[in-house]
Amino acid sequence: MNCPEWEERIALYSDGDLSPDDLAETKRHLDQCAPCREFAEGIAHSLAIARAAHAEAISPAAFTALRARVLEQIARGRRPSRRLAWIVPSFAAAVLAFVLLVPRPVEFLRGAGDSHRQQSRRHDGSTSTPPPAPLLEPVAPAATQPFTPNRPPRARRRPKPRPPAEPFMVKLITDDPDVVIYWIPN
Amino acid sequence: MEPLALLLTATGMDNPEDRARTVAAAKAGDLEAFERLLRQHERLVLATALRLLGNLDDAQDAAQEVFLKLHRNLAKVQLSGNLTAWLYRVTVNVCHDHRRKRPQTAAIDEASQLPGSAADPHQDLTEAERKHALDLSLRRLSQKERAALVLRDLEGLSTAEVAAALGSSEATVRSQISKARVKIKKFLDQYFRRRS
Repeated sequence: MNCPEWEERIALYSDGDLSPDDLAETKRHLDQCAPCREFAEGIAHSLAIARAAHAEAISPAAFTALRARVLEQIARGRRPSRRLAWIVPSFAAAVLAFVLLVPRPVEFLRGAGDSHRQQSRRHDGSTSTPPPAPLLEPVAPAATQPFTPNRPPRARRRPKPRPPAEPFMVKLITDDPDVVIYWIPN
Repeated sequence: MEPLALLLTATGMDNPEDRARTVAAAKAGDLEAFERLLRQHERLVLATALRLLGNLDDAQDAAQEVFLKLHRNLAKVQLSGNLTAWLYRVTVNVCHDHRRKRPQTAAIDEASQLPGSAADPHQDLTEAERKHALDLSLRRLSQKERAALVLRDLEGLSTAEVAAALGSSEATVRSQISKARVKIKKFLDQYFRRRS
């Protein structure tokens, strides 16, 4: 090609990308210039080859695989995260263990709540409210509400009476077989 | 018929109402509707990604990412015909990112990939030869030239649509397309000269 300045316009001319003014001018040039006509034909031919190659079908298996991958990813995104999957069973197990191991769970929780309330009152810092009663202050039995648990209380086991233990004694043996020292604490 | 028109006919997307209904259902969380959407647009996305990346494995990875982005961003996609433009734009961006992350490491020994001698250079091209020639010629383009040529000449978008998809001006796209066409023509001339 002898007209490099026409190269760009001829490349656009091949597929109708020129403005009307450029189009008319390029046509006039092509009518007069055989090498540029050949160049234009070559551009059109290479585009035809490229389009033919592009239009050839992609294997259906490739689309099936793509679809499967995308839908599987979406389904995985909808499932709860594996990292958090242990939380629910762990929490359930902890609640079950608490109920089974703590003899009176309601009372336990109420006691914890009371102590928390007392603590928060203590840290309140307000001077207008009277200080709370000491924690170890005995409470009259009549003032307490009888606790009625949801399940029947277990029968308390009475401790078995232990046999009288032998008194603790330390025996010191000396070199002299006739002398033995005993120490018996009170 | 233009390639895009062929594509629209083939995928049953010529009814905008159906398409809008499918998008709306997919937006509402209907996975079957999303699968229909996927089937309608899979060729567009996978073929574009294949031409931009040059191999099917990478193209499938990119296409998967595009459709997952579509699923995440369904609420933002307009019900009108913007979905196709959106898909082209996202496909180009995902492929650019993909190439940045995984640059083509294999050095292209183009001389060894050029065909041996045969009877007629431009006739009797097998499907494999055409694909091979297209793949090699696309590798000679810059990333932007390649995207512009794939969308304009292979996918059949208008210059304005290509400019919108690439986020550049029509003048820039025209310049990229013309340079790309000249490079491809010169490469194919050399390719077939070797072949003959």
